[in-house]
Amino acid sequence: MNKSVISYGVYLPYLRIKRDEYISALGSCSAAYKEKAVMDIDEDTITMAVEAARDAVSGIDAAQIGALSLASANFPYSEKVMAGTVIEALGLNNNILTCQHGNSTLAGTEAFLSAMGMLDQTDQKYALVVVSDAPAAAAAVDLEHGFGAGACAFVLAKDEPGLEIEGVYARAGEAMGLRYRLPGETGVRDIGVKTYASQVYNETIKGAVLGLLRKMQLDPNDYSHLVLHQNDAKTAAALAKKMGFSEEQLNQGQLFSLVGDTGACSALLGLCNVLDNARSGARIIICSYGSGAGSQAISFKLSGACKNTRPVKSLLESKKYISYIYYLKLKRCI
Amino acid sequence: MGAHISIPMYQRAVAQRYRLVGQKCTKCGKINFPPKAVCKYCQAGNEFENVSLSGKGKIYSKTVIAGGGAPPEFAEEAKCKGSYPVAIVELDEGPRIIAQLVNPPEEGYSIGMPVEAVFRKIYEEEGVIRYGFKFRMAAQSV
Ligand SMILES: [Zn+2]
Repeated sequence: MNKSVISYGVYLPYLRIKRDEYISALGSCSAAYKEKAVMDIDEDTITMAVEAARDAVSGIDAAQIGALSLASANFPYSEKVMAGTVIEALGLNNNILTCQHGNSTLAGTEAFLSAMGMLDQTDQKYALVVVSDAPAAAAAVDLEHGFGAGACAFVLAKDEPGLEIEGVYARAGEAMGLRYRLPGETGVRDIGVKTYASQVYNETIKGAVLGLLRKMQLDPNDYSHLVLHQNDAKTAAALAKKMGFSEEQLNQGQLFSLVGDTGACSALLGLCNVLDNARSGARIIICSYGSGAGSQAISFKLSGACKNTRPVKSLLESKKYISYIYYLKLKRCI
Repeated sequence: MGAHISIPMYQRAVAQRYRLVGQKCTKCGKINFPPKAVCKYCQAGNEFENVSLSGKGKIYSKTVIAGGGAPPEFAEEAKCKGSYPVAIVELDEGPRIIAQLVNPPEEGYSIGMPVEAVFRKIYEEEGVIRYGFKFRMAAQSV
């Protein structure tokens, strides 16, 4: 059975903080972005998920959605069926199949792959994938500086033209001490060895992307776009080059410098921006990353219409800047 | 003091609070939101059909709640923001509802301006998040 993404939706919070705010408040900022998206006090990963999903399903017959796959490494509850909240907010059928993926930033593509599996088990035509994330760490931790927020959602369909899913390949293995969180803690930690972190990131993503190219018998030139999970922009760009991709292939999927680290959303949000501008027939490869560590690469071909109501560009432009003090207030630090 | 709404009470209104489900009177055709036992328009209809409202409307009247005037369940938000704007929104389908406004434009806003519903946390009590609707200025046509 052929499976394609036929529509998608994106949500970015309205608030932004500039890197300069960190520098003037703290004297430095560990992450190299221009500005990043910040959730308001009344937002969480579920409210962002609902907004993105609502856009993705506008124009789709909700009664034909047979599965909901939800992902976040930062759900507002550690235990609860949060798919239920999304079902009620969107008015979906209460008998659909659901799943929730969390615990690492790999959750986004995991949810995507699960939705493909669930499509085989439902008589309905569509599956909805919703990925929403807002990584968190204590204000005193360097890692925190880069953490942004955002959500995206995709409607997958059986045997319909759209963004066709051509193939997947994955890699996972042990990598200790990188971006982890213990039960009961609200923020992540890290042993803080940057060279080790980049090495694992590079090897894991390379294992998935190059493996997928081999499996598909394609090479980087066959692709119009590459989208990589971005903890920071530089490492991703250097890795893309090492794997044989050009800056041009990478550019449109790189949103880190405008939204920050969006965790489980990172590669999928980049995909949405690529789709806003992609030409029919374009091949796109995306690759997620979760510390610990794992990566999943997916190859797509744009062989039909893939709709979006609010372009990512307009969401990037719709914003209000806040101060670092106000940012700390929103994070309940003061 | 704000009126305490128990979890079971809130739970019963989930369809209305999460996706603005109203009731269309089968007698006069008007939409009741929030739902009523007897139609508030014709005072006669007591049979209804569920309809999901679009969430689009316009500002009918507005005010700002200052920090001290906030009911306790909104205290956290008031503490963070100092005050927050509230409006009576007239929905496209007719009903008028009171709701908070998010990100009102700094240059001000006035009666009649178009707004759209957004899904937000309304407040949190006993560790349970109460989700529901607020309104933002309608997206400018891109
Ligand atoms: Zn009536």
